[in-house]
Amino acid sequence: MNSYYAATLLVYAAVDIIACLALNLQFGVSGIVNFSFIVFQAVGAYTAAVLSMPPDTAYGHFQVYVGGFQLPFPIPWIGGALAGGLLAIPVGLVVLRKLRTDYQAISLLVLSVIANSVITNVRPFLNGAAGIAQVPGPFSDQIDPLSDTYQFFYVALTVPCVLLVWLVASRIVNSPFGRSLRAMREHELAATAIGKNPVQLKMTIFIVGGVIAGLSGAILVGYIAVWAPSVWLYPETIILFAAVIVGGRGNNVGAILGALLVPVGFFEVTRLIPQKIGDWAPPPNLIPAMEWVAIGLLIIGFLWFRPEGVRPEPRRVFEGAPLREDMSNAGSS
Amino acid sequence: MELYIAALGFGLISVSVIAIASVGFTMQFGITNMINLAYGQVMIVCAYVAFYVNQAGVSVWAAMIAAALAGAVLSFLLNRFLYAPFQRKGTNLIGMVIVSLAASLILANILLPIVGYGSSSYEVDQGPLVLWNGLVLTTAQIAIIVVAVLLMLAIHGLLRYTRLGKAMRATAANPTLARNCGIPTQHVIDVVWLLTGALCGVAGVVAGMNSENFAVASGAGYLITIIAAAVLGGAGQPYGAMIGAVIIGMVTELSAAVIAPEYKEVVAFAILVFVMVLRPQGLLAKRGALAAAG
Repeated sequence: MNSYYAATLLVYAAVDIIACLALNLQFGVSGIVNFSFIVFQAVGAYTAAVLSMPPDTAYGHFQVYVGGFQLPFPIPWIGGALAGGLLAIPVGLVVLRKLRTDYQAISLLVLSVIANSVITNVRPFLNGAAGIAQVPGPFSDQIDPLSDTYQFFYVALTVPCVLLVWLVASRIVNSPFGRSLRAMREHELAATAIGKNPVQLKMTIFIVGGVIAGLSGAILVGYIAVWAPSVWLYPETIILFAAVIVGGRGNNVGAILGALLVPVGFFEVTRLIPQKIGDWAPPPNLIPAMEWVAIGLLIIGFLWFRPEGVRPEPRRVFEGAPLREDMSNAGSS
Repeated sequence: MELYIAALGFGLISVSVIAIASVGFTMQFGITNMINLAYGQVMIVCAYVAFYVNQAGVSVWAAMIAAALAGAVLSFLLNRFLYAPFQRKGTNLIGMVIVSLAASLILANILLPIVGYGSSSYEVDQGPLVLWNGLVLTTAQIAIIVVAVLLMLAIHGLLRYTRLGKAMRATAANPTLARNCGIPTQHVIDVVWLLTGALCGVAGVVAGMNSENFAVASGAGYLITIIAAAVLGGAGQPYGAMIGAVIIGMVTELSAAVIAPEYKEVVAFAILVFVMVLRPQGLLAKRGALAAAG
């Protein structure tokens, strides 16, 4: 049982790290306030689920959904990632081209709420509010999914994904492309003036973020085996925002730190709160509600006292760049 | 045909509810430069204030006044102790949006343990039916429409014919210039939050009456419709929000008759997407969504 707990914690940590790295690329590095981030994770999860599951007739009338292709591992995960990227294209084209940044944020929030309500109401598509259950994990036909071996096997599958995403994210942040993104975040007009196309930059990072978010959803659904609208309500995105803000916007180490502090650490700590204090037991919904209040206070507190986060984005100074005195010398000689 | 006339009746009430809510929302944005995403949640808090007053045996119309007071006080406090300090600190628009979303989350989850997950509804005396050319409305529904019309006229009168309204419009157009002309902008902004908060409270109650029941989770749905109406009309434009409310309210109720009631919000969303693609500045605004942030 303990190994099961450890494996669960590790898989959740991996999923949250991947998600926070993606959100950091969009929000921290590029300044896109993607309030519908969780939708991209959900699309990846649903896609991975229907790719790995048998057709819904296999379950009788227990659940209905489209597709059901029973494809072997890596395809569902790759499919989930692709689906996240594909969704980012139309959303990005509508939201990112003309709108002001605050309008982008509220449009994406609206999208998140609406997408959830559509999936909840349209039952034949993805089984509505009840969601999809009994999603087979990778290789679950060969290793018993309930065994300890499988738990750690799953962790072993997710670790390369985390490393891959970390590699991609750090390559992006440290590349000239990442520099363009930061330039756009700091001053869009100035970046445009030196020949950067902000729409193209935003679209690219939105799609990259969508792919990574889709992958995180695919990994999560393979492990927890269920996916329903109630797990991707819009406040879930706020947790990830809290993580990135707490960790430190704009740097990948900060995003990972935030993922470990907020979604993983924070919710693990609240599990330690006793269910009963003496004879007094708090009402059952009090503690979950207070967790959300704390998330809200965490965001507000950090934005007020330490907006740069626990680990601030490093100031990038280029060694080759001439200092001001050198330039004046060069001008006079 | 009868179905459509009935839908028209529902549309009139929806328009009234959305108009009250979205005018408050858009005035907050227009005058104080704050996209207050906690607006839907403040509506719910006020709806519950009215609910408990109503439960105590008071008529829902009197409870509405209590809700308006609660909304005014809550919105004022929200601005005084949360938004205004952040704005003074120089937090950008995006930071403010995130702060208001966090505030919304906090409000919802403080309310949740108090009122529970279940949905509640008011005890309303619907009164006798009124028939007019095939339109069937209850007296209570007509009262909602009357309240909305009176509030809209009051807003119009305030903005056009009073010194305070003039000061509000000046503050919206250019706060620095307004202050230099001797307008106490801080005072004006406080009044704006009190007034829009009262609108928000009334909106919460009429929305709760209109949708038969409401729960803590209804806030997000309210907010979506309000944003759709406000953006459609041109954010920050009170008259635009009124026009937006008419369009969103009518189209969503007619679509409910034609397609299915579950998709009302989706239709509102579809309108929003069209507006954002075709005319992002909204119907009335000259700059609106297209202007540079700042």
